Amino acid sequence: MKLLGKEINGEALLEKIETRLRQAGELPQPGPGRAPDGVEPPVDPISFNLAALEEHADPTRPLPLATHRGGVGRAVLLAKWAFRRSCQVFINETLGRQRLFNGHTRDAYAQLSAEVLRLRAEVAQLRSEQAPRVAPAAADKRTPKQR
Amino acid sequence: MRVHQLLPTFLPGDATGQSALHFGLLLRRLGLHGQIYAGEVAPQLRALASPASELRPQAEDLVLYHHGIASGLSSRLLHLPCRRGVIFHNISPYPTYRGTALAGALLGGRAQLAAMAPHVQLAIGVSDFNSRELKAAGYSNVHTVPLFVEEARFTREQLSAARLRRLQGPPTLLAVSRVMPHKRFEDVLRLHSEHRRRVPDARLWIVGGYEPGSAYFRGLERQARALGGVEFWGKVSFAQLVAAYRSASVFVSMSEHEGFGVPLLEAMAAQLPVLAFAAAAVPETLGGSGIGFTEKRYNVLAELVVELCQDAGLRQRVLEGQRRRLQELSPEVALQRLRTALAPLLPTVPARKRPAKKTRPRVAMVVQRYGELSGGAELLARMVAQRMAPHWQLTVLTTCARDHLSWKNEFPEGEQREGGVRVLRFPTRRTRELASFNSFSRRLYGHPNERAAEERWLAEQGPDSPGLLEHLADAQDQYDGYVFFTYLYQPTALGLPLVADRSIVVPTAHDEAPFNFEVFRDVHERPRVLFCSTPEEEALIQRRFVNHARTRIVGAGVEFPDADAERFRARHGVQGPYLFYVGRLEPGKGIDQLLEHHQTLTRRYADAPQLVLAGASGMTLHGARVRYLGRIEEQDKHDAIAGALGVVVPSRYESLSLLALEAFAQGTPVLANGASEVLVGQLERSGGGVTYLDTDSFIQGVRLLGEQRQALGARGLKFARLHTWERVVQAYREELERIVERGR
Repeated sequence: MKLLGKEINGEALLEKIETRLRQAGELPQPGPGRAPDGVEPPVDPISFNLAALEEHADPTRPLPLATHRGGVGRAVLLAKWAFRRSCQVFINETLGRQRLFNGHTRDAYAQLSAEVLRLRAEVAQLRSEQAPRVAPAAADKRTPKQR
Repeated sequence: MRVHQLLPTFLPGDATGQSALHFGLLLRRLGLHGQIYAGEVAPQLRALASPASELRPQAEDLVLYHHGIASGLSSRLLHLPCRRGVIFHNISPYPTYRGTALAGALLGGRAQLAAMAPHVQLAIGVSDFNSRELKAAGYSNVHTVPLFVEEARFTREQLSAARLRRLQGPPTLLAVSRVMPHKRFEDVLRLHSEHRRRVPDARLWIVGGYEPGSAYFRGLERQARALGGVEFWGKVSFAQLVAAYRSASVFVSMSEHEGFGVPLLEAMAAQLPVLAFAAAAVPETLGGSGIGFTEKRYNVLAELVVELCQDAGLRQRVLEGQRRRLQELSPEVALQRLRTALAPLLPTVPARKRPAKKTRPRVAMVVQRYGELSGGAELLARMVAQRMAPHWQLTVLTTCARDHLSWKNEFPEGEQREGGVRVLRFPTRRTRELASFNSFSRRLYGHPNERAAEERWLAEQGPDSPGLLEHLADAQDQYDGYVFFTYLYQPTALGLPLVADRSIVVPTAHDEAPFNFEVFRDVHERPRVLFCSTPEEEALIQRRFVNHARTRIVGAGVEFPDADAERFRARHGVQGPYLFYVGRLEPGKGIDQLLEHHQTLTRRYADAPQLVLAGASGMTLHGARVRYLGRIEEQDKHDAIAGALGVVVPSRYESLSLLALEAFAQGTPVLANGASEVLVGQLERSGGGVTYLDTDSFIQGVRLLGEQRQALGARGLKFARLHTWERVVQAYREELERIVERGR
């Protein structure tokens, strides 16, 4: 454990406290590992959106039975479960066309994003092929007029 | 070019909304105008932000989108036909919420962050920690503009002694944040438990919104009940928040993730030692101040809390370090960073044409209303405009409003010439609902307030005229200098920062409740010079704003028009001695008390003078020997003053009484409210009248006027002769010349 601060002598202060704890017959408690300070990894939007569209394309599928609430929240979960058990056939009928539409949206996004990825790769390749043409050595060979 | 801000929600107490207001403040100080737009706007904040659906930027505009968890506005930003920027406030860590409905929004927010990267020209992290995430997500042109707090909002002086007394007690830990799992309040409770073992009556206050039904909160509540000494305050008013900071012993944060950590700075501003787990951006925000810790060893931390409470030397050193850190994260530092970030996107402004030495400088005078209307500050502005017109190429920038209570548009919009002065009028956007405005004002007076509340007050106070502010921002190359009249209204409070370094402000300030609002700090600290009307006004400003701009006492000049008392008596059928008042007839001007005093006088003395009142009335005026004349002509006013036993000035809120000067000019003594420092000062310096504080002193004053009218009047006239317009005109010319010289 470290105590951080320009106005304190962290090591001396920690030593003083730990000595006092030992004298009181109390061992310093172990703490969890060091504080996380790294940045979160970025999330690729294309694959995230594709996965999300696949996950949620079928509106007749129930959401997971979970709640962050206690007490009455549990009773509501039970009511939802009962509703699903007894009414799934009507849910399917009501949302059938939405399911088809969502499927088309997912497929359209998948095709378009695949095309975007292919075009990005092609642009990258073209740029890398073009790069030597504007190299300084090549530029110097141009006539003054061309420059 | 406008710089608009776009954010998902604009709700009371919302951290992103507060940062949008702070960015708005910085943008104004950079001379840039723009609006705030939000996906969801709380009804009470509609004066400050418009629905996102109304955002229609021009190609040269910049829209800064405040990004956090997933929002549909992220997709909208990509398709806005203008330049785009992102302000990143960070996103809570996804793994803490795995399996909950929130997880999708957190992960989706990160996906949106990466998706926007190729489509924006500017990315701003509110900490270097956030900026690193922006770079990792593919952004270029990344800048850090740190958040800040307005230190003066956290002073003890603004809190009532009763409120602080109620919170006094044993050593208290304070944690401020919305109650969410990644903030690790269970760890705060464990620290409190260890603290209670050492200090059995120790308290823990947890301030911040929570969901009472959530399993997480119910678990915390159970633990808290078992421990004792824990209070969940929930969402509180700003005054309560400041009182909590000012009454606690140590601020503690156990959060596992902070993109910045505004409460850390708030605690520093309230001079409360900070003890914080050094996770994510927390070490950067602390910047070596406070005490950070890298492991949660609760018995060690509890001992540290005891040290901070008992070792005065340690506590003092920590507080000094925190003061240093606040300076490093001041609004001025944020302003410099934002200026650097925006510089490549700002249009290249052609250099302003500097006026040649012999040409008259181009000056804009900004005032909330202009024309033949009642109101001391407006009258002063008009008198100055008419006298400066021969010396300057003067344009008056004002609204179409005639009535300061409603701000209803009554004058035609656009350019007119009035008395040789060019006047540009802009319409107001809303009228004022006086009853709800007064009720809202009462809630704000006498407490510390957050910026959102004061800016809402300012928007409702009005006059809300976006066209006027846009003109100030857009036409900066058309004027060499500016003169703003009256601190109290929106055109000055929001317009002055746009052009502060070329401005003279005539604040006409007096000791009234809104004068203590922080939202008026720029008006008194940023102009080139403040023209005060009296030494009392100057002293008031110097007491309230320690870093005030340079002050100069200028005031108004006095004229000596011919007057005929008999003409007034004949015209209105007034006989016998009378007291006279002309101006706005409102309770705020002390008219209700004046009527009470006069009625008592009339009941006690059969020969009591009449009370003759003139001007626009906003109240019922009746009583024995009271005459109300309505609005009267200028000449009629001077005739009335000349014939009066005395002129009454009943308002306690005055920065300069023009009416008193007009009375002196006619050799008529003044009977003034002694609760006004300014009036007392004016009468002490002139010897031209007497003051009253209650009914008895009012009656005594009337008697004195009867006995010594001539002597008092002569002294007032002598004083008036020293106050010439030539002196005033010279002061305006000198200060404007200084501004022009600086620009040459």
